[in-house]
Amino acid sequence: MRRTTVKLLLVVLALSVFLIGCAKKPETEINNTKAALDGAIQEGAEKYAKEEAKLLNDDLAAAMDEIKVQDEKFFKNYDKAKEMLASVQAKADSLKAEIPARKEKAKNDAQAALDAAKTAVADANALLAKAPRGKGTMADIEALKADAAGLGDAIIEVETLMTSEEYFAAADKANGIKDKAAEVSAQITAALEKKGKK
Amino acid sequence: MIKSAIKTVILLFSISVLIGCEGAPLPPEVMQAESREHDLWKADAEIYAPEEYKLYKSALRNGKDLLAKENKRFVWFRDYEPIQTEFRHILLQGSQALQEIEKQKQVKSRSIADQIAFYQKRISTIRGLSSLINEGKVSCRSLTKAELLLSELCLLNQRGQYAEVEKKLKILPKYTARAIEAISPIINRYADAAHIRKWRDMVNETVSQSKERGIHSIVVSKVDKKLILYHKGTPRKTYEIGIGTNGSEDKLYAGDRATPEGKYYITKKMSRSRYYKALLINYPNDDDRRQFTAAKKKGLIPKYAGIGGLIEIHGGGKSGMTYGCIGMENDQMDELFSIVDVGTPVTIVGTVEYDNNISSAIKRL
Repeated sequence: MRRTTVKLLLVVLALSVFLIGCAKKPETEINNTKAALDGAIQEGAEKYAKEEAKLLNDDLAAAMDEIKVQDEKFFKNYDKAKEMLASVQAKADSLKAEIPARKEKAKNDAQAALDAAKTAVADANALLAKAPRGKGTMADIEALKADAAGLGDAIIEVETLMTSEEYFAAADKANGIKDKAAEVSAQITAALEKKGKK
Repeated sequence: MIKSAIKTVILLFSISVLIGCEGAPLPPEVMQAESREHDLWKADAEIYAPEEYKLYKSALRNGKDLLAKENKRFVWFRDYEPIQTEFRHILLQGSQALQEIEKQKQVKSRSIADQIAFYQKRISTIRGLSSLINEGKVSCRSLTKAELLLSELCLLNQRGQYAEVEKKLKILPKYTARAIEAISPIINRYADAAHIRKWRDMVNETVSQSKERGIHSIVVSKVDKKLILYHKGTPRKTYEIGIGTNGSEDKLYAGDRATPEGKYYITKKMSRSRYYKALLINYPNDDDRRQFTAAKKKGLIPKYAGIGGLIEIHGGGKSGMTYGCIGMENDQMDELFSIVDVGTPVTIVGTVEYDNNISSAIKRL
């Protein structure tokens, strides 16, 4: 009886030590989390959610640190690391799901800016069409025509940026074109008024 | 035997309970140091203080390793004081790196602002020059692109995206150079001493002629957009004028919209003209014909182009661009028309001043 009890206790003890000391490293969780993060990055997280992507990378690094700590322990416990990895994976999946909407918004904003720029350039060109032609044409009208041509060239550059999905740069450029086109229109109007007074 | 086994089990149980015990809390500096790393990343440390950032990350890594090592110890025996000291040091290193970044950014921002101001001035000078020679049509296309780029640069500079600004700043000279290149053949004549000397000689001869013969003479300075009426060698009246669309160039052929340069005279007075009143001059003269033939031989002018003619001083206003004629306000035309006669010398030059508007602007480029 005594011997049996002792044996039983020793077996339980050995099993406990085995189970505690040999907890399995969460390889699957690591791979899944890395894959989720890569997925978010491939979707465009570094462009449309740069800071969030960086934070997720940091969180993954922290989880890996925790794993490293546990790796070196005799009594390994990867529960915390697993929780951290699960959190990173969930956030990465959620971020990945958000990217298309952000991308779409950036695209729509850029398209709206481009449309506004095109309208402004068309307005300037319409005013230029009204400008007097031939002998007696105001000196600055010719220059303003060249300005409008430059704006037309810039519109093409914005369209190229749109094609290459550089929406933020496209929006910036388009906004600049719109402002400059308004400036040109104001100058044409002023020149036309000046001419009208003559 | 049983007693000893029970003791062992109790001991092991106690150990496992103690493992789960909470130890001393982590020093707050650990989290702060991680947060600072993020601040450094956000501040573009990789660009503005790469060495400092590398050192910071390395120090943070070491700190974390130390922490991990400490955490491996039994909770009761953990001592975070050295860790705290280490992380304080790391934080200080991070602060210094942030300061360095701020310093670098200020330097960068100032340098960029200076470059933007330089290009704004340059573009404005080129625009001014183009306007002076009525050649906006060849340069403004490039200048507009340059201005658009400048407005983008200002925006990026405000956002602190200096690396992007620096990249785009490299494109800017391409546009300004293209604009300068477009107007150079025209403006360079106005800064060329030999050319100006030739123009001065022509004007001096005309003025001397006016003095010697006691007659009226007209001198037109294209760069100043002025027509000066001389009598007996003395300037009597100065009128503001307009010239051809390409008036700053010397007329070479029909349709080039340039205003001729040379010594002419009035061949006809027209009291009724399409442009109020007109004084026709004898363009093309012999020099113009020689120039035309030589240019045609060199292929500098269109194959079927003629030399042109009907160059006048006329009314209709000075602010309009002409096909090469000289335009004046009607009331002034009335005055001039009543003073001059057929045969009155008319000398048209680019300028007589070595330091003229164009040469001064060229110096500012």
